[in-house]
Amino acid sequence: MSFYQTWLPFIYLYGIGGVSFLFGTFLIFRTGALNVNDPVHKKWVWVLFYGYFFYAFIHALFIYLAIESV
Amino acid sequence: MENILGTNLDRIVILAYFAIVMGFGAYFGKYSKTTSDYFFGGRRFAWWLITISIVATGIGSHSFVKYSTKAYQYGFSSTMTYMNDWFFMPLFLFGWLPIIYYLRLGSIPEYFERRFSREARYIATFMILMYMIGYIAIQFLTLATALYKIYGIPLMLTVILIAIATTIYMHFGGQTSVIFTDLIQGFILIFAGLLLFYLGLNFLVDNTSYSSGLKALWENLSPAEKLPLANFNSPPDFNFVGIFWQDGIAGSIGFLFLNQGLIMRFMAARSVNEGRKAAAFNVLVILPVSAIVVSNAGWIGKAIANSIPGALPVDLAPNDVFVSVANLITSPGVFGFIIAALCAALMSTSDTLVNASSSVIINDIYRPLTKNKASDEEQLKLARLASVLVKIIAVCLVPFFNSFDSIYEAHGWFHSTFTPPLVVGVFLGIFWRRFTSAAVIATFVVGAFLMILGQMYPSLVSPFSHGIEFRPGRGYSYIGALYNLVVCAGVGVIVTLFTKPNPNKNLTGLTVFDVHKLKNIFKGSDVNELTGKPVIVNYKIKDLKEDMVSFSEDDMKIANANKGDLVYIQDSRWWLGGLKSIHATYDTPHKESGIVYISQKQCDSGMFIDGLPLKSEKEM
Repeated sequence: MSFYQTWLPFIYLYGIGGVSFLFGTFLIFRTGALNVNDPVHKKWVWVLFYGYFFYAFIHALFIYLAIESV
Repeated sequence: MENILGTNLDRIVILAYFAIVMGFGAYFGKYSKTTSDYFFGGRRFAWWLITISIVATGIGSHSFVKYSTKAYQYGFSSTMTYMNDWFFMPLFLFGWLPIIYYLRLGSIPEYFERRFSREARYIATFMILMYMIGYIAIQFLTLATALYKIYGIPLMLTVILIAIATTIYMHFGGQTSVIFTDLIQGFILIFAGLLLFYLGLNFLVDNTSYSSGLKALWENLSPAEKLPLANFNSPPDFNFVGIFWQDGIAGSIGFLFLNQGLIMRFMAARSVNEGRKAAAFNVLVILPVSAIVVSNAGWIGKAIANSIPGALPVDLAPNDVFVSVANLITSPGVFGFIIAALCAALMSTSDTLVNASSSVIINDIYRPLTKNKASDEEQLKLARLASVLVKIIAVCLVPFFNSFDSIYEAHGWFHSTFTPPLVVGVFLGIFWRRFTSAAVIATFVVGAFLMILGQMYPSLVSPFSHGIEFRPGRGYSYIGALYNLVVCAGVGVIVTLFTKPNPNKNLTGLTVFDVHKLKNIFKGSDVNELTGKPVIVNYKIKDLKEDMVSFSEDDMKIANANKGDLVYIQDSRWWLGGLKSIHATYDTPHKESGIVYISQKQCDSGMFIDGLPLKSEKEM
């Protein structure tokens, strides 16, 4: 399987998607919409980053397992 | 007409399902007394109730067929579109959701008027209505295509019967009926999809030498079919980069920021934080499960085709894989149940869109035209009529969508036509203060014109193609979304730079830059952020000023509440999910601990039962 099938889509997804995610996180932090001094909001910061890495992990795992099964 | 699918038992199961859902939905009609109840369910529900009802909205009747087809052709990468929605969650949860909730927006077009101008609102209303009614028509068409083969009734008559069935409970119940029928339909959808997966794995164990169904499935897919993401830029009808821009970017923003049905669901949550929990849980847990639910028939079908020759027809068309696999691995009655799940998918998606469309008709056409002079009863009556009208128009549109080569082509056509200008308009409106009214109208009008040019002259799209092969006569399918987004955003940015914002326009609370002020705007005074504890109380009736309730001094201390703070009071039985609840304001306290004084009107609105305790929580 070629790079076009395996890791390029992953890098593109979490690269472009990651820029969107970080831009959004920065904007809500910068504008005060997300207040890290608020304990409830603080938990949400963890949830937001957990979600990003959760999906990245699932996708990476399946790509790895698919490559291993060749 | 030839009956080609199912048995009489299957037909009885499907009819029984329709009858049960209609009765269930009509029962909850008693909870809709005002337009607020009808459209937003009174803003009172717990996050878990909202979450499950969103499942049924997100899975349309076309989902099972569409994703099973892709799963059969390409394997696990069929799940891509269900697992790329997290990137815009920060902006949605902490930008858009507080804006729509705290400003009590009745609809997305209303935002366009408050943020830009009345003209922008009217254009947005037209585009959103077209989008939603077209979507409803496609849902009708998809299910009717399956059902008319089972019952032998002509296609259009099947469409009309489905429209009538969904009207019955929608007409009386509004959003509360939608939420509660979608709750059971959400469970049914997930259960039916997972049941199909379980039966499919068992079928593989029974008919192969593997002792584990999961192992049999894994071993009978090729390495490429095990990949979770499609090939980067080929084939042209299913490639990663095109689907990323169409679904992961335009689709995700459209789904989270512009889906009026979904927005109304979040506004039915009892608080912004409950809405956030519902959205996060939906994307993190429910969507991956939904991906399995809608795709597994295709994976099972492919594994069966690879390991059990002759079990499925050699010339099986990918579009038929869902029905063929369901027929093969289920017994009579169970097949009817699986088709009933398709019905659940249709009814739950279309009822949400119908309710959303009637909300737009009332909020964005009727109220502005009548200058909001009609009484709430009159508006409620009209909302019910509007929902019937929407269905009639949708039924009339079915032949138009039936004229496309496939349902997916029809679906893709209006998705790519109506979503990008709205996505750009709302996104720049929220996150760029400088974005002007002239610019948003230019985005809608000039952007749409450039999009049409792109469809007529595919060479305009080719610089964005990422190497995807051009198909003569069919153009660039998915990656066209990138071109559409770029031209709409380009028009918006350029016109903004050459026009001046209206100096008299008050944008307070309408952009992400003011989200931290929204609680104060919502409450109308300073917010009390001190954390308190919930209080269990019994209620007594007393004449009080509107929306006021009176707690004891001791109970207000426990809640850390002051006079004028907002309070949420609900039946203490958690499993009602806030169905019986009210929002109110703390009045001057009294001395009787464990007692709350409420008015008869509040008691009726919350449907509180005499003798059953209430649970109260300070909101802000």
